[in-house]
Amino acid sequence: MLEGVGFEIARGEVLGLLGPNGAGKSTCLRLLTGYLTPTRGWATLVGHDVTHAGPAARRHLGYVPEDPRLYPYLTVEEILRLFARLKECSPASVAGECERVCEQLALNAVRRLAVAKLSRGFRQRVAIAIALLGAPPLLILDEPTNGLDPWQVIELRELVQTLSAHHAIIVTSHVLSEIERIAARAIFLCEGRLLGEYVIERDRPGELERQFLAITRAPS
Amino acid sequence: MTAFGYLFGKELRGVFLQPIAWVLLAVFLLVMGYTFATGLALTKTAALSRVVFQAATLLLLLIPLVTMRLLAEERRHGTLEMLLATPVREPQIVLAKFAASMTLVVAMLAPTVVYPLVLAFFGQPEWGPIYSGYVGLLLLASLLSAMGLALSALTSNQVVAATLALGLSLLLWMIDTLSAVLPAPWDELFLHVSLLARFTPFATGAMYLSDAGFFISGTLFALFCAVRALARD
Repeated sequence: MLEGVGFEIARGEVLGLLGPNGAGKSTCLRLLTGYLTPTRGWATLVGHDVTHAGPAARRHLGYVPEDPRLYPYLTVEEILRLFARLKECSPASVAGECERVCEQLALNAVRRLAVAKLSRGFRQRVAIAIALLGAPPLLILDEPTNGLDPWQVIELRELVQTLSAHHAIIVTSHVLSEIERIAARAIFLCEGRLLGEYVIERDRPGELERQFLAITRAPS
Repeated sequence: MTAFGYLFGKELRGVFLQPIAWVLLAVFLLVMGYTFATGLALTKTAALSRVVFQAATLLLLLIPLVTMRLLAEERRHGTLEMLLATPVREPQIVLAKFAASMTLVVAMLAPTVVYPLVLAFFGQPEWGPIYSGYVGLLLLASLLSAMGLALSALTSNQVVAATLALGLSLLLWMIDTLSAVLPAPWDELFLHVSLLARFTPFATGAMYLSDAGFFISGTLFALFCAVRALARD
């Protein structure tokens, strides 16, 4: 359950959504993507209410869930074409969009491979490529570094930094040092409530962890 | 291609790339072939009503196995979450799955068209009951598919989805027996919703608009329930 959680994010910003297990991070993201419907309250994406104008809101959204599962019997090319059309890219632009995201995510080598044959890291890249189709202004990445090896984590970090120039990005992670490196701001959730916000200072490494502990352990 | 076309293509591949589709197809044709051959040898009449009833019974048992995975699998594997994060509308998802399921049913029924052709080669069959039988089978299959889809949307467990769909289908098939023990007006009510009572005229060559309307409205209602269940979270 979420209670009184409110925040804004603008294009060009990376926002870290932090909290212990069960804090409501994934619920918060699922409310934004329209997978869950709020009993009360509202959220808007680029001026569209996610509950009452869901399809219009989701046009501006790219979502990578925690442990993204893709259709194993489709090839990377087929899955990108499918999602490009579902994200309302025009038939004429589908091929170009797939080309663009494959280039951006270095997926050209595996384009004709079935998703079932891809490694965890490549599946994650395909999921991010899907999110980028249609160039939505908002990207939501739920625990994107889960299960990735150190090289893949570094690649992902660089990718997020590159993408942040053109997108607003909400990212959740249990790894505070990761958030400290890629996000400009962090908000803390605990037991479904927003406890506080911290503007990350890159020249003070470890400060995010101290803030997190201070805020989430403080008696409510 | 439209977004629906892409979704339908994905569903078709999902259905036909699973071994269960081919097993169902083989079992259906084996039992149907057996029924046709033994029926012809025993009765020596150029009629298909026995075969049509057998096909209906088989569809009743097999369609839950087709529909069980359609939405339950998407929910369990988490692919539904990515699908619903796109601007696609729930009715498009449900209709694509329904169309894929019906394509498999048509693929099961299509080879049985050989039977009336064999009858026509060796005898003079009455074509009316044969046409109406196939129309009835398609209408019955559409209702069973839509019900199975709606129940598949309620759970992430395929076995639960299949069991619920099978139970509901069998109950509705033989619910007309309740009308024999209930007083009026309840006896009429159960007779009206019985799949067997609605299907029998088709199998025997009588097509009524009311029966067709029952199957079509039932299908639309079940598809509506599937859409609502998909959006229930």
